[in-house]
Amino acid sequence: MSQTAAVAAPDDGTQAPPVVIARSLSKVYGVDDSAVRALDGVSVEFARGHYTAIMGPSGSGKSTLMHCLAGLDTASSGTVHLGRTDITRLNDRQLTQLRRDRIGFIFQSFNLLPMLTAEQNILLPAQIAKRKVDRERFERLIDVVGLRDRLDHLPSKLSGGQQQRVAVARALLGAPEVVYADEPTGNLDSRSGAGVLSFLRDSARDMGQTIVMVTHDPMAASYADRVIFLRDGQLVDEVHAPTAETVSDRLLKLES
Amino acid sequence: MLRTTLAGLRMHKARLVTTALAIALGVMFVTGTQVFGDTLEEGYSTKVLGAADEYAAVAIPAWDEGAPADPEAPAPVLPADTLEQVRDLPEVAAAGGMTRGDAPLLDKDGRAVGSVPTIGMSVGPDTRFQPAEGSLPEGSGEVALATTSADATGYGVGDIVTVLDSEDERHEFTVSGLIDFGVDRELSYRGVVAFDEDTTREMTGAEGYSEIDARAAEGVTDAEVVRAVEGVTGSDTHVETGDAYGDRLAAAAGGDTQVLTVGLMLFALISVFVAAIVIYNTFAILVAQRQREMALLRCVGSARGQVFLSVLTEALVVGLVASAVGVAVGVGTGWAGFAFGGEALGADASQPLVVGVLPVVVGMTVGTVMALGAALLPAWRATRVPPLAALRTSATAQGLEKGIGWVRITVGAVLFLISGGIVFAATDGDRTGPTGMVLTTVAGLVCFVGVVVLSPLLVRAVVAAVSPAMRRIGVASMLAADNSRRSPKRAATAMIALTVGATLITGYAVVSASLKTTMDERLAEQFPADYRISASLDDPDAVVPQSAVDALEESDAIGTVVERRRTSTESDDASGDLAVRSYIGATLGEDIKSDAVSGSLTDMGPGKVAVSEEYAGGREAGDVLPLATEDGEQEYEIAAVLKDGGGMGGVTLAPQDFEKAFPDVDGAAGVLVDGAEDASAQQVRDAVYDAVADAPKVGVSSMAEMRAQFDDMLNIAFLAIAAMLGLAIIIAVFGIANTMALSVLERTRESAMLRALGLTRGQLRRMLSIEAVVLCLIGAGVGILLGIVFGWAAGTTALESMVFTLPVAQIAVFIGVAVAAGLLASVLPGRKAAGASITGALASE
Ligand SMILES: Nc1ncnc2c1ncn2[C@@H]1O[C@H](COP(=O)(O)OP(=O)(O)OP(=O)(O)O)[C@@H](O)[C@H]1O
Ligand SMILES: [Mg+2]
Repeated sequence: MSQTAAVAAPDDGTQAPPVVIARSLSKVYGVDDSAVRALDGVSVEFARGHYTAIMGPSGSGKSTLMHCLAGLDTASSGTVHLGRTDITRLNDRQLTQLRRDRIGFIFQSFNLLPMLTAEQNILLPAQIAKRKVDRERFERLIDVVGLRDRLDHLPSKLSGGQQQRVAVARALLGAPEVVYADEPTGNLDSRSGAGVLSFLRDSARDMGQTIVMVTHDPMAASYADRVIFLRDGQLVDEVHAPTAETVSDRLLKLES
Repeated sequence: MLRTTLAGLRMHKARLVTTALAIALGVMFVTGTQVFGDTLEEGYSTKVLGAADEYAAVAIPAWDEGAPADPEAPAPVLPADTLEQVRDLPEVAAAGGMTRGDAPLLDKDGRAVGSVPTIGMSVGPDTRFQPAEGSLPEGSGEVALATTSADATGYGVGDIVTVLDSEDERHEFTVSGLIDFGVDRELSYRGVVAFDEDTTREMTGAEGYSEIDARAAEGVTDAEVVRAVEGVTGSDTHVETGDAYGDRLAAAAGGDTQVLTVGLMLFALISVFVAAIVIYNTFAILVAQRQREMALLRCVGSARGQVFLSVLTEALVVGLVASAVGVAVGVGTGWAGFAFGGEALGADASQPLVVGVLPVVVGMTVGTVMALGAALLPAWRATRVPPLAALRTSATAQGLEKGIGWVRITVGAVLFLISGGIVFAATDGDRTGPTGMVLTTVAGLVCFVGVVVLSPLLVRAVVAAVSPAMRRIGVASMLAADNSRRSPKRAATAMIALTVGATLITGYAVVSASLKTTMDERLAEQFPADYRISASLDDPDAVVPQSAVDALEESDAIGTVVERRRTSTESDDASGDLAVRSYIGATLGEDIKSDAVSGSLTDMGPGKVAVSEEYAGGREAGDVLPLATEDGEQEYEIAAVLKDGGGMGGVTLAPQDFEKAFPDVDGAAGVLVDGAEDASAQQVRDAVYDAVADAPKVGVSSMAEMRAQFDDMLNIAFLAIAAMLGLAIIIAVFGIANTMALSVLERTRESAMLRALGLTRGQLRRMLSIEAVVLCLIGAGVGILLGIVFGWAAGTTALESMVFTLPVAQIAVFIGVAVAAGLLASVLPGRKAAGASITGALASE
């Protein structure tokens, strides 16, 4: 990975090139009177190997932003680039392929297929993409997330934290260009949550994994390199090297 | 509570549509059958009444119900002067007589139609019959044909036909019209050539009248006319009013209708049964999916009874609505059935639809009771949901635990053993006939229950067996394999619905195919020749003319000619006459074969006999058989004792012995003809028909044609039964589609996640298709297996020495249909799953 050839990122305060770039992203639900502006001209960049948290009050458009960035939903206007691909111009088939090959996902819950074992769940994206599995990376991942003796278990036999770690391992196995996580620790107690979060942080630091995470929890956000704040569909603030306190303060300010 | 139920119904409307459809289809069949039957019956009545009720009295020769029919005695007639006497009665305005005799109609090959001569009948002025097409015959040059005769020969109005008179002289007539005798079975079956009265007498040589119809004079009641007619006709005549006569004919035809209706009803019940399975499954799944909802109701204080009632109310509403739809569509189906089939069945096509109260009530009741009955168990299960279940996470992960279910295995195995035992008892030995059939049916039912009990394990085992292969094919089939194993119980129930139809249709296919092979073999045994020429049936002493035999022997196109001579003699060993026969020109055991119990037909020769077991009196080959002949009692050595039921019942003598023993028999009752090796089929046929051209009443049958006719009959029966069972199969496919749809609904989030991970819409659809196909294939596979076993058992018990035949091609078609059904069943669920927006599905809980 040569980082020298990268275009200088404007104002994210780092040298790393952006992997994901959103320009004037808007999303309107409904029409006319009942129209809801879920996103209102959001421009944001996410640099390679960076771990970014998206925060904001409920209904501020966090999930919508993430869905548009990930190609799960189409924006009403504006563009999203993943690397050199303008994903807003892709059709459904191409988007499916893009998600399959270049993006990883972690959801808040129901991340796993109930009829597949932990291992089968982890290997599923590779199978869908008919990709060869990097066995070395797989072994390393399951050791790091501590799932070695749980690989043959069905999800229903795993704890919530273990399930989320399976989801994390699955998202990271294919070394996607970016991993999106929507409240990955929302259903976990603080200890299991901390395990998942530190693992995400480590993979960003050690493996150069780009991660974008939506969260409500200032504690969770403090694991990130950067926190961006949304309100009413607009990007309103941003904090680098956050701590739980700074994030809480900003949030309080936002909601007042 | 009712309000909650109705609100629930409205919310789950879409999920209940297929259920409603299943009920409606079943009810449609039930109501349709009844409406069709009622209309048909009414159609017969109007037709008969339309013809007979204008007549005050119908007089026919009295018939003695108890007496055995003697085919040789001439049919009793009313004396010729009776008509004049009736006409002279003051109570009678007009009267017509009907003369009847034999008038063999020749087909386009110049052969007499059918094995019994066509009826020659007069349709003079005042006849009861009106032409369906053309006009009634006038003068000596015209005839009207029965529609059945026209169908059999291909003649129509305006054609020239040849009819034999009583001296077998040919006469030509122009067809002036066609008469539909639909309701009168004898006339329809034998066919009719109708002339005017004088021509009838000339042609048939018949005397007197077989029926006299009288119209009442002004102001005279029918009863009075009947009494007056009785006065002149005497006691050996049966006189009744036209209404009564018509009612009697209609009742006879109505009996046929009832047989038809009962048969149709049987298939309707099968459909209803399958529909009940589908409904049961839907409610079971709905209750499982709404476990949390139910638990929540219990949490907020609903009593068990209320939960129970709410599920039943839902079933009741669905049942009522669907039954109403089913009844409405059923009335339409009944009408369509009558419109298309009524005419062919001989009913008056202009008969308006008869919709009684009964079919409507029965349809509504069947549908509603079926829905309620099928919902009972799920409703009870709903009451077992503990309030705590509301707090549990999800119901979707259920059914994945892999308990073996020893109880199931034991119960299933015991049922299979019992069923096997019954089948063994039924097919072992000579318990053929009704008992065997009943036993087979019972065994089938027991076995079916066993399959039902074992089905969840079966589904799991089969999927487990094929899933390694499916995993290798691709991600869609891998996921499908895993999905198929998720809820074996509901998969099993959905599949069982299909199994019912598949079992029945395969069973019938096996019986049909076996019947065909068996018949072919018997035909080949009893009819070991290309053509069989037989003396006309109406005279037991008739022989095939020697000139025809000579012509055949001289023809280059003919290979072998075997004359079969026949007579009968007294026998002490068995009751009645003993048939004695001989084959001239045949090598027994080669040209003519029959299974021997002891000895062999090839040992036959002068001084020897072959005798069928029934007449052997316990003797074996090598023993001596005494036989009463015209030459006094003779003794012969038994060369072979033959199995009963073959073509050679009685005693077979060598030609020399036969000639000596029965010198009076100098003609062949039948001739078996084989074509020469180098002659084409057409040449052989021409040679045969040329040889008998002068003897039109001699019957000619060809092995190939008989086979074709028999095959046609079997094929038509198979198509009819397949069509009847088709509805049950369609209902089952609805059930599978419904199960798939409900599963898709349940897995909305999962599908969204798979799509997010990069599964294409196509792959998602394919996953569901494979899942449905697997389900259909298991259901059809089990049904095919059961069908083969019980088709064999039924065939063996129904038909002695049945040759079991596997209808491979048909089974291949069934498997193809199963695959198609699976694909079809997954179309809508697949579209729904693939069409759902990912973000929407992710947001939904
Ligand atoms: N499918 C939809 N149709 C209409 N409006 C929608 C839809 N999805 C989201 N919205 C609206 O868009 C806005 C943003 O929603 P979004 O789900 O992005 O919020 P969020 O920040 O993720 O909130 P939360 O923290 O509660 O998850 C909300 O006002 C929501 O009501
Ligand atoms: Mg959200």
